[in-house]
Amino acid sequence: MDSQIKKIHQQLVSKQITCTALVQEKLDLLKQNTYNSVNSLLDTLALDLAAKVDAKIEKGEAIGLLEGIPFGIKDVYMLQGTYTTASSELLRNYKSPYTATAIQKLLDAGAIPLVKENCDSFGHGSSSENTIFGAVKNAIDPSLVAGGSSGGSAVNVAKEYTAFSIGGDTGGSIRQPAGYNHIYGFKPTYGRISRFGLMAYASSSDCVGPLAKSIEDIRIVLNVMSGKDPKDQTSIPSTEISEVAIATSAIKTVGYFKNFIESDAIDGQIKGDFLATIEKLKAKGIKVKELDFFKSDILVSTYYTLAMAETASNLSRLDGTNYGNRIEAENLIETYAVTRSENFSEETKRRIVGGNQVLSQGFSDEIYLKGLALRDQISENFSKDFQEVDIILSPVTPNTPPKIGDSLKDPLAMYLSDAYTVGFSLGQLPTLTVPHGTSTGLQITAAKNNDELVLQFANFLKDTL
Amino acid sequence: MTVDILSSIKGAQPSESVNQLFEVIKNAIPSNNNTVNNVHHNCLSVSDLREDVVIASSAIEKQLIIENFPSKKNGFLVVAKVIEG
Repeated sequence: MDSQIKKIHQQLVSKQITCTALVQEKLDLLKQNTYNSVNSLLDTLALDLAAKVDAKIEKGEAIGLLEGIPFGIKDVYMLQGTYTTASSELLRNYKSPYTATAIQKLLDAGAIPLVKENCDSFGHGSSSENTIFGAVKNAIDPSLVAGGSSGGSAVNVAKEYTAFSIGGDTGGSIRQPAGYNHIYGFKPTYGRISRFGLMAYASSSDCVGPLAKSIEDIRIVLNVMSGKDPKDQTSIPSTEISEVAIATSAIKTVGYFKNFIESDAIDGQIKGDFLATIEKLKAKGIKVKELDFFKSDILVSTYYTLAMAETASNLSRLDGTNYGNRIEAENLIETYAVTRSENFSEETKRRIVGGNQVLSQGFSDEIYLKGLALRDQISENFSKDFQEVDIILSPVTPNTPPKIGDSLKDPLAMYLSDAYTVGFSLGQLPTLTVPHGTSTGLQITAAKNNDELVLQFANFLKDTL
Repeated sequence: MTVDILSSIKGAQPSESVNQLFEVIKNAIPSNNNTVNNVHHNCLSVSDLREDVVIASSAIEKQLIIENFPSKKNGFLVVAKVIEG
């Protein structure tokens, strides 16, 4: 698949289509869609912006590459004046007072936001079923889940309702739905894109990233959103990735985690397809190394321990005092408790309670601090690996997407399904899902700040597989 | 303090699924338990802090903050009942 952004840009510049007609067409598709991918449409804003782009073209003025390109936003990003619900009852009627930095940069480049997209509430889920707007249906087989938490974003891109969408990835929430819906989804190095205006789930792992149908579109959108932001002090400076820099691959050595592939939990077809990919790489002269890594249950448990602790803290602000659906009770403490009990989903409550468990006296040493120590070891492990290999390749998920309804019945199974994505989140590493290699795709990971190498290898893989 | 009080969630109980995750951590043996010396990945340098300046909200931002307030009466924003009767 070639760049959707460049194709649309060309159509606009050559006046094959008007921006207004394009935006209206996409809005109609989104409105009629039956995948539950939409929380709210931004029709008035989008059509106003489209008219401005058309006026510019009509006057013969040059337009930027992203000008007039329609995109989607996971419903956890602030966009001033629009509803930002986090797919939750508590924030059903909450309107963003300001705009997230990443989204503002896209607006400044002229991209047109069409839709706030359905997702798991506050990012809590791997199936986009934990939402007040109805479970998101998989773009390829609607009886299956779309994946999560950025499920609506992945489906909108896969169905071409949006040219690209902006998701959020804490433990795999961009990469896993991208794999389930056969598109690209990128979690950049932690801090490369500002988190300002993204509703916090687990701040030490939260990443902003694009979902798109081509590597080139991922590159274009990543470049626009990247950069140090005074409003997010964990953001880092980065350099632009050029099209030329990722056109040819300099990668000589690829590693993969032996225990991921030898696990009993992996689907036979995914395992077979992954190993076949490895053979193709060897045939191309790439040196492949088997690497040792932490057991999947350690990775999942470390991730969830830390993520739950952080979300318990982050979501403590949601008490109905200044915003949200406050439910009055006899006194202040009761008002907090009733508001939170009635408005949070079961999964969100499970994670808040788990977080407070591990942070409470008597448990923090045994679980939370030990989780932090394990995270350090996982990071050290990655540092050593990247002295030996340029890229780590892995499946995205151990299994194919479950049927809608199954994940909600078994939370532990849902947590364990994140086995291959959470490690890279703990390491804060750049990781891209590509829609090749296995039925739920492959993950390409490089060392911290080596985002360029990831995209370079993705191009190589596209031509190889 | 119990988790329902800590979480401000009525009747909250620890979950069996989540406890199974925590058991894995309890039984894990990190080779280095000294987190104090190790947890530095997310620290910021004091020389890299932003200016401590007050930025006034725009009129539209103020209006949206007021619009989001959960309870209003006769033009006033109403907070939850603080004083117990």
